[in-house]
Amino acid sequence: MTTENMAPLLQAIGISKTYPGGVVANDNVNIAVNAGEVHAVVGENGAGKSTLMKILFGVEQADSGELRLVGEQVRFGSPRAAINAGIGMVFQHFSLVPSFSAYENIVLGSEPRSGIRFDRRKAIEEVRALSARFRLHVDPLQPVRQLPVGQQQRVEILKALYRGGRILILDEPTAVLTPQEVTELFSAIRALVAQGRTVIFIAHKLPEVLEISSRITVMRGGKTIGEIETKDATEQKLANMMVGREVTLRVERKPYNGKVTLAVNRLSLMNELRATVCDDVSLTVRSGEIVGLAGVAGNGQAELIEAIAGLRSVAGGDIAIGGESILPLGVRARRGKGMASIPEDRISQGLALGASVAENLVATRLDDRLFARGGLLDLGEMRANAERLIERFSIRIDGPNALAATLSGGNMQKVVVARELSEQPRLLLVSQPTRGVDLGSTQFIWRILTETRNAGAAVLLSSADLSELLALSDRLMVFYRGRIVAAFRNSDELTTEMLGACMLGLSRQSPEEMRAALA
Amino acid sequence: MSEAATTRRWAVLRRETGRALGAAIIALAVAFLIILFSSKTPLQAFATLTTAPITKVRTVGLWIDDVAKLTVAGLAYSLVFQARQFALGVQGQVYVGALAASYIALSPLGQTWCAIPLGIVCAMAGGALWGFLPGIAKARLGANEIVSSLMLNYVAIELANYLIRVDLTTPNSRLLSTAPFPSTAVFPALIPNTRIDIGLIFALTSVVAVWFALYRTSWGLKLRLVGHNSRFAQYAGIKEAFIIVSAMAASGALGGLLGAMFVEGRSFGKLAVSFEGNLAFEGLLIAIVARNRPLAVPVAALFYGYLRQGAQLMSIRTDVPSEIIVIVTAVIILLVASSYSVKPRAMLAAITRSSRPARTHVEAVK
Repeated sequence: MTTENMAPLLQAIGISKTYPGGVVANDNVNIAVNAGEVHAVVGENGAGKSTLMKILFGVEQADSGELRLVGEQVRFGSPRAAINAGIGMVFQHFSLVPSFSAYENIVLGSEPRSGIRFDRRKAIEEVRALSARFRLHVDPLQPVRQLPVGQQQRVEILKALYRGGRILILDEPTAVLTPQEVTELFSAIRALVAQGRTVIFIAHKLPEVLEISSRITVMRGGKTIGEIETKDATEQKLANMMVGREVTLRVERKPYNGKVTLAVNRLSLMNELRATVCDDVSLTVRSGEIVGLAGVAGNGQAELIEAIAGLRSVAGGDIAIGGESILPLGVRARRGKGMASIPEDRISQGLALGASVAENLVATRLDDRLFARGGLLDLGEMRANAERLIERFSIRIDGPNALAATLSGGNMQKVVVARELSEQPRLLLVSQPTRGVDLGSTQFIWRILTETRNAGAAVLLSSADLSELLALSDRLMVFYRGRIVAAFRNSDELTTEMLGACMLGLSRQSPEEMRAALA
Repeated sequence: MSEAATTRRWAVLRRETGRALGAAIIALAVAFLIILFSSKTPLQAFATLTTAPITKVRTVGLWIDDVAKLTVAGLAYSLVFQARQFALGVQGQVYVGALAASYIALSPLGQTWCAIPLGIVCAMAGGALWGFLPGIAKARLGANEIVSSLMLNYVAIELANYLIRVDLTTPNSRLLSTAPFPSTAVFPALIPNTRIDIGLIFALTSVVAVWFALYRTSWGLKLRLVGHNSRFAQYAGIKEAFIIVSAMAASGALGGLLGAMFVEGRSFGKLAVSFEGNLAFEGLLIAIVARNRPLAVPVAALFYGYLRQGAQLMSIRTDVPSEIIVIVTAVIILLVASSYSVKPRAMLAAITRSSRPARTHVEAVK
């Protein structure tokens, strides 16, 4: 079957989108998706993939450019318009009603009726038929909150199919899945394509992309770099297109031999449901080194960082800074010991969006005599501090009094980084420092983290971006199901594949190998 | 660079003022329609509503006296709302403060020069206690502050009713109020023959004090950060529980002050059952319209107090009941509050988006 003389099923031509705050998310982007293919869109964080997908699904509107559906120009003013045109999208964050059963969620908004009554029996039958047809097995009667993440995702996919979706957009569907669930998802995708559906698949992980897709569009820095048939692609080739240079970026690092600053000893943590999320974890971070934490999201690394930061209570074990246990200390006292922390989510945790940048920049140091004496704020010093940090971290902003909400993602992250690193910390906790941050800011933040390390800080870095971990870390710990399953000293021989295999629990280290890199 | 920020601040001020004025005009139009249908002399009634408060020195006095009280009530709500604590206990704090001031005024101390300062201090302490209780219940036990503060209102109101009937009236009196306070325990007038007394000075002082506390002290910055994003405050090492409890106690002190302003003010000079005529609750409206900005509170109070006084005079002089003001209030709240809960980011997005679909519409029409 050739598509040469046929218009692509869905085509975007010359799409540009600039967010308020001046971030150019899409710059003259082109993509053409043919019927019956799995079309992967790959690119680094901040390459503009999500924005493009939101435009295809009508969540965002392009500033310029056009969309064509089977050759005809269309305009999606809202997701509703896109759904009516046969497009369905599954977001990374599901939009399901937790207390409703799977079938209720699937038919919600387009319920089958008999008269004015919601015909539940028919709904359940339809959902059963749909899930059998596309090999997306879920129990329709189970409440969604009791389903594992992989099944919730299937409910989302079924929801889109139920509404007559011909084109399915999956935004990083594998990020939240276990390897087993990934295999099942892929077999479902194959069933979808075999039955005439088209799938647009956004991903970070190149092996997955090579396995499932038939064509690949590569994006970098808001632009489309190129389109390539999967059979012609290799991981290296894709990586080079994504990053735009032959070798992966490695930051210059001084050798280190500092004293142990952070010691985590046999730490156990539980989540809100009293399930163990960190089990018997021990690690050390020395002054002047970066220890990277690798792992699929939800394997305990985020909770470990929260516990060290003082935001999560500890079920067992000990955490010490400089040989002294910090478990009895609150957040403020831990910060007083020289701890700084760049949290995973700058909007929900790292900033007060309604407050000014100057206020955000002093929020962690309000008991410092520099900014508050006798309970009175020194507005002049706050302003000077803000101006200093804006200059030093080149934050693009109207002035210190601008509200944090008015900044772009990259500049917001710089405000967080600037605040935490305004004084050289002894221990720095970093989670996802460059998630959703443009490439320029990413490189800047990487450099700053390395400088902080070189100046003697012990840095604990958690990131979903393996290339980031490999570029920055001196040692790497791999988390799997709440335990450290592998530890490496970083070297040029260490690859994302080796890390990935451990992250998925496929390969394990011998105790000796692990011990060699743990200390 | 910061000029841009300054111009934006002015733009926000203009927009907010425009929104408040727009809401007021629409609300007055609705009021006019209702008066038109319910009154035999609608024009006279509407004229009374809109002009009566400034026709006589005496009525101006009534208006300004209300403004002073509405200002303090509005400040009390603004303070807790800025910490995003929806404590609605100002009414109860007013009653507790009024009781405290009354006990001082009716004691032997009430005959001396210290009646007023001591009365105010005790009233503020009582109010602060009444604000502290729901605060500590939330911080320690996780009790919802809306429920606990509302329930404490009833406790305070009934406590005042009980004490007025049992303990504070003159024997054999059937009045539902205490005896008039000695003149040493009544606020001196600022303008003779009006109700304008030194309560106005307390109100204006409170405006400056609350503004100063919120924007010039580290406590105020912490309080606002807790209000903006409590997860961030925790992460930054701010003691959230302390901020919540102290904000609610400080707001309670303002409520207590308002209680003293009522009973020691020239309008009463005694403690009576149901003396506050729901004014304490109307402070909620003031805070919403002023968007919890202390400097905007007196402006909103001036405006709302005028309408309130107009409505009362209208009900005395014409056949329209003063309840009409409830409708006006409701319309204003609906109009102002409809955008009240919008988060800055969403608001920003809405503003920037509002220009673009307009263009697409034009294209679609072509």
